[in-house]
Amino acid sequence: MGMLEGKVIVVTGSGRGIGRGVAELAAEEGAKVVVNDAGVAVDGSGSDRAPADEVVEAIRSRGGTAVANHDSVASMAGGESIIQTALDSFGRLDCLINVAGILRDRMIFNMTEQEWDDVIAVHLKGHFACTKAAAVLMRQQRYGRIINFSSISGLWGNAGQANYGAAKSGTAGFTRVVARDLGRYGVTCNCIVPRALTRMTGDLPKGPSQERVVGRGIEAWPPDHVAPMTCYLATDQAWNITGQVFLVYGGTVAVLAHPLPQRTIFKQGMWATDELIEMVPQMMEGIANPAPPPEDIDVPGRPKSQAQAAP
Amino acid sequence: MADLLKGRNAVVTGAGRGIGRGIAIALAAEGAKVVVNDPGVAADGSGFDKSPADEVVEAIRSQGGIAIPNYDSVVTVEGGENIIKSCVDNFGRIDILVNNAGILRDRMIFNMAEEEWDAVIAVHLKGHFACTKPAAVLMRQQRYGRIVNFSSISGLRGNTGQANYGAAKAGVAGFTRVVARDLGRNGVTCNAIAPAAITRMTATVPEAAAAIRAQSGVAQPRLATAGPVERTPEHIAPMVVYLCTDHAWNINGQIFHVGGGTISLAAAEMPIHSITKSGKWTLEELAQVVPTELVYDIANPAPPPADLDLPGRPAKPKE
Repeated sequence: MGMLEGKVIVVTGSGRGIGRGVAELAAEEGAKVVVNDAGVAVDGSGSDRAPADEVVEAIRSRGGTAVANHDSVASMAGGESIIQTALDSFGRLDCLINVAGILRDRMIFNMTEQEWDDVIAVHLKGHFACTKAAAVLMRQQRYGRIINFSSISGLWGNAGQANYGAAKSGTAGFTRVVARDLGRYGVTCNCIVPRALTRMTGDLPKGPSQERVVGRGIEAWPPDHVAPMTCYLATDQAWNITGQVFLVYGGTVAVLAHPLPQRTIFKQGMWATDELIEMVPQMMEGIANPAPPPEDIDVPGRPKSQAQAAP
Repeated sequence: MADLLKGRNAVVTGAGRGIGRGIAIALAAEGAKVVVNDPGVAADGSGFDKSPADEVVEAIRSQGGIAIPNYDSVVTVEGGENIIKSCVDNFGRIDILVNNAGILRDRMIFNMAEEEWDAVIAVHLKGHFACTKPAAVLMRQQRYGRIVNFSSISGLRGNTGQANYGAAKAGVAGFTRVVARDLGRNGVTCNAIAPAAITRMTATVPEAAAAIRAQSGVAQPRLATAGPVERTPEHIAPMVVYLCTDHAWNINGQIFHVGGGTISLAAAEMPIHSITKSGKWTLEELAQVVPTELVYDIANPAPPPADLDLPGRPAKPKE
């Protein structure tokens, strides 16, 4: 018997990539799954019923139970309809997994309003639209699991993703609040930060940080490897884990620190700027500038370097 | 008047009251010319009033400083462009942008209306984007700039009843880290402050979230009022001023908690514990390993009450 036997689980964005892996594993473990996917391109354009239908077919062919839903998560009506599909098809909702997402990368000084709005809509409004509808039911039944998706783009910072980074850091903050709103009703809310090779990473250069983490590359992180930890959080065994953010890639799962005070300076009363000029560098010792200015630009305040001093 | 920011031009959004007002006055006191932006809305975003911005401009001028008011809303790209333009038109360039404007619409997630979600995300997140984009274009060209954003403990730690605000403010932290990387090579820094201060925004909390928290038995320590330490809105300003000086040229992409005389660097959201296997985990394996190796010292911030029937929870021995 699977560890999710009889649970009703909605997985948004599960027509492809990470969401698909989650939907398929949940079904293997005995869950009845709503496979939601609007079938859009990576940039959010278009629509196609085939990806969701195909995953439902794959699940059924292995004896699992699944239905397709093709609504967009980006509107309240869409979110409500997705949750309603679980009720209409399976009679209840135990778990919502918010995977759906798009990308519109651009440096901040070139980013258009449309690029900003579309990414915030799918990721942040999408998390809200589905979660609100699910939270009403889960609170009433005093049971539920909500699993959100964040990204290192926001938590660590990736150049060219101000929209996506803001949205994905936002889902981590959303997770922390929703966990506190719903914990007393027997509902947990956690967040997965996935790293995997999918069509969304297809355009990204393989950065040194990716190499550093595993010493190999992103190829070592298939999308279906994100599924086990995601599905574990949906089990009854994970009843006491809430408000946490987990990094998952390949065979590695890590629990992440929250951005709470780490190093502190204190005085009784208000600081003077002169005092901070002396004290802050001590607090910041060893903290690297993630994007230092190049040597050849004039940076007021920077000590003259050897290179500049040389004739 | 000191002169650490002499010759610098600054925009402070939401500077008509509270923390923003303290920052505008402190920047001006260090010699910066300041655009005091504030449409004078209520804490929930409703209404319009020129007098808060005007009053701060008057206060700065009476101390010998230089300031002009601007009343645009940060919520639209047009508003953001107008705010930045008013700095360029009046003072010739922009060196400093402080994204402080914000509103609150607290509600538990299961009761939150779409309009409450949208309004808060618009002012905080779109507001940060709308002002930062036009500032970034100019700062990149001039190879110099300071951007200071405003995040909140609500998103970084989690406050009950603030799913909209918490998402927006955690979003600002992510926005800050990305913008820092987009602009660092152009001599621009971008950092964020998570402030703790007693302002009219925290004054609304007892009526909304705090009451809900108390009712639900999930009251949390209130940073803004905890202890004998004084936490006025003015206490936030020195760190903001410092980040805008030339001394802070190499501090970039960081989040700082500031309240009263306490200033902390926020932890990076990096792994605390991790588990690894070669290949894909099974759920059975995770059920064994996660509690003992991964989350053994991570407290549940909102544990379910003891009288709730909860599948998976070990039964308490009967008395």
